[in-house]
Amino acid sequence: MESVDLFEHITFSPLVPTERFPNLPEIGGFVFFAGIVRNINEGRRVNHLEYEAFPEMADRMIRSILSDAGKKWDLLHADCRHRLGKLEISEIAVIVTTGSLHREEAYSANRYIIDRVKHEVPIWKREFFEDGTSEWSQGCTHEQHRH
Amino acid sequence: MKIRLLCFAAMKDYFPPQEELLVKSGSTIAELRSSLEIRNPSAARLLKVSRFAVNQEIVEDGYFLSEGQSVAVLPPSSGG
Repeated sequence: MESVDLFEHITFSPLVPTERFPNLPEIGGFVFFAGIVRNINEGRRVNHLEYEAFPEMADRMIRSILSDAGKKWDLLHADCRHRLGKLEISEIAVIVTTGSLHREEAYSANRYIIDRVKHEVPIWKREFFEDGTSEWSQGCTHEQHRH
Repeated sequence: MKIRLLCFAAMKDYFPPQEELLVKSGSTIAELRSSLEIRNPSAARLLKVSRFAVNQEIVEDGYFLSEGQSVAVLPPSSGG
């Protein structure tokens, strides 16, 4: 498969679950989160999704969110990768991994990162339904609510 | 003055993905938003909830545009 990894945090290539922990012996807690394409949304059967982004800006914003997380918690590791293009049901759309001395920081930072990535980063999903129709997800208007 | 306007996702249903646009010198983001609403009133609802970025930085409504800037219209994010 040709490589289409133009950016560190944004990729068109399939995302795979982390197989190895970062090689950091100080890590005592490691949290892995995957956002997965599900087959139903608000009662409608979904066939597949397509993700689009403003890739340069999305990459920069994710880097900045990871850096903010590093200022709020004592993290030994933080990463996030988001996939673009056509994704089938059960494929991974986004991965966030965090590692720290203890679990609490890793859990909190992971949640913080995925929440901000979902709400702030210029990435959009178009849902293709089983009935043949498709539409852009409404998304969340910033500052409106938490998922 | 000329700016480059970039539209993404649902906004592309109303405006081209990329275009050169002539705007009044010293226009603000709020004025750009209004001019886009006038150009295509059916985009008004989406424009109201969209953010604007200049050279990849989010800017507020009062921001003054300059010649040659790249302005992106960003509908509400729906990643993850």
